[in-house]
Amino acid sequence: MIELLTHSVILAADTFEGDGGLWLLALGPAGAVGLYWMLYRFYRNTDKSHAYERETLVEAQPVTGDDRKVDEVRGVSNSSISGNNVNRFRDRVRRLPPSRTDG
Amino acid sequence: MTNPPPIQPPPYQPPAGSPVPDGAGPGSPQEVPPTPGEHPIDPATLPEAIQDELLAPDPPVLDTSSPELQDGLNRCPNCGSTDVELRPATGMLVCLFCRTEWSSERVEEAYGLGGDLSELRGTVVASGAQDIDTGADTLITMKCGACGAEVVINTENQVGARCHWCRHTLTLAEQVPNGAVPDAVLPFRITKQDAIGRIRQFVDKRRLFALKRFKEEFTPENVVGVYLPYMVVDGNVGAEVFGVGEIETRRYTRGSDENKKTYYDADVYQVRRQVDFTVDDLTIESSAERANLDTKVNTNNIINTILPFDTKNAVKWNASYLTGYTSEKRDQDVAALQPTLEHQLLSIARAEVAGSVRRYDRGVRWEQERLDVHGTRWVAMHLPVWLYSYYEVRGGRGLVHYIAVNARTGETMGSVPVQQWKLLVAALTVGTVLEAVAIAALVVLS
Repeated sequence: MIELLTHSVILAADTFEGDGGLWLLALGPAGAVGLYWMLYRFYRNTDKSHAYERETLVEAQPVTGDDRKVDEVRGVSNSSISGNNVNRFRDRVRRLPPSRTDG
Repeated sequence: MTNPPPIQPPPYQPPAGSPVPDGAGPGSPQEVPPTPGEHPIDPATLPEAIQDELLAPDPPVLDTSSPELQDGLNRCPNCGSTDVELRPATGMLVCLFCRTEWSSERVEEAYGLGGDLSELRGTVVASGAQDIDTGADTLITMKCGACGAEVVINTENQVGARCHWCRHTLTLAEQVPNGAVPDAVLPFRITKQDAIGRIRQFVDKRRLFALKRFKEEFTPENVVGVYLPYMVVDGNVGAEVFGVGEIETRRYTRGSDENKKTYYDADVYQVRRQVDFTVDDLTIESSAERANLDTKVNTNNIINTILPFDTKNAVKWNASYLTGYTSEKRDQDVAALQPTLEHQLLSIARAEVAGSVRRYDRGVRWEQERLDVHGTRWVAMHLPVWLYSYYEVRGGRGLVHYIAVNARTGETMGSVPVQQWKLLVAALTVGTVLEAVAIAALVVLS
């Protein structure tokens, strides 16, 4: 088992050889913290709540909208847009006043 | 002979030195009140905006009271006995004398809660969900409909009592404005034995690192059946979101072999999305204590997780469904729950539009959002939960761990206290092994 693990780690180190494989030293602490949190959550379930976004009966009309190209960015090192919240449905952003007052 | 002119009474002079007392006079509560809907000025002569406000109908109220139960006696339709309780296996009420079974009407049909939600306008609040009168007494005195004796019910923790004279069971049917009586109740379906089995199964999967004392004291037979208060909300809304999205156009690496780095080029778009939708039976905690989901001080998120319930099967309020179970009172009004509702509606809107921005492979940063609530309908309900609790004291602070079973769907969730040192030892052991492997790999590579 440990032999297999070592083999996998060597293969991974070969792939990311850039910094001489020193990042491998973070494997131990990262593994310890990761396991602790995984087990803690499995027992305590502190990350659970009602998933009302997908567990509520919603009947939606087709989504409308528009998309306008406004700029181009070159040579950025982030693999995704900064502040990406497309899947963080519960993160509230600036609230605009209602467009109609029939509520 | 001419007739003398008719004698005219002298004009009325108010007695000198008796001014109109403060607070009296025209328009004061001391005058005879105007009839409802009467205005001193004809509204038709006023500007349209004022006219609309004056002539607007009163806020709609869904009357869910049960006049047939107002005498407090929920009688068996066959023999007239008031010894009635819920039979979870069938979800029906059963008479303990003649074993007749019957059920209250489903609120969905009784109050027309189905129908097209896109027609919903304004805020419709059912009579059991009206604002709580903070001055309303929790002790309700009921007159026994059978013998006339007066029986006191403490609505903090019960909605029924037995008449100490004639032994009839009295149940609270009147919607007193203290939050104790909702519009509807969803009866227990999962039996206690079934709940015990589910809780045992849940804990059995989490024994290795569980707190030793918790394991020793674990007695799922102590599970309690409790009706918790919720607001069940239908909504007709529109939402609009604005943000920035990026599409990757090129990916490349720069630098030497030792210091390679990946860079990206992307097109930036201004994105707007709009969606109209209706939500059916969104369920919100209407007890402030239960709605507090701070996992540092409580485990209420466990009870929140077992939502949703099959609220379509809720029946008209009848306190006999609560016999043998405990219940909690609602303490939140519609206005207090509005921010929670709006937060959930906006979250749903964001989830709905997510599929339409998939082409932005570098993601979207939503920056502004707008919610137009066209209509909402609020119904107060008691929903059934089997609750097992364990009180843990650590570092001088107490924490109640819940294991909860949805008494309709059987969904089970819980918080099992952990033995911290065991968990740390396990994590450190695995970390040490991984570190040893990493060092071995570095040695091989060098």
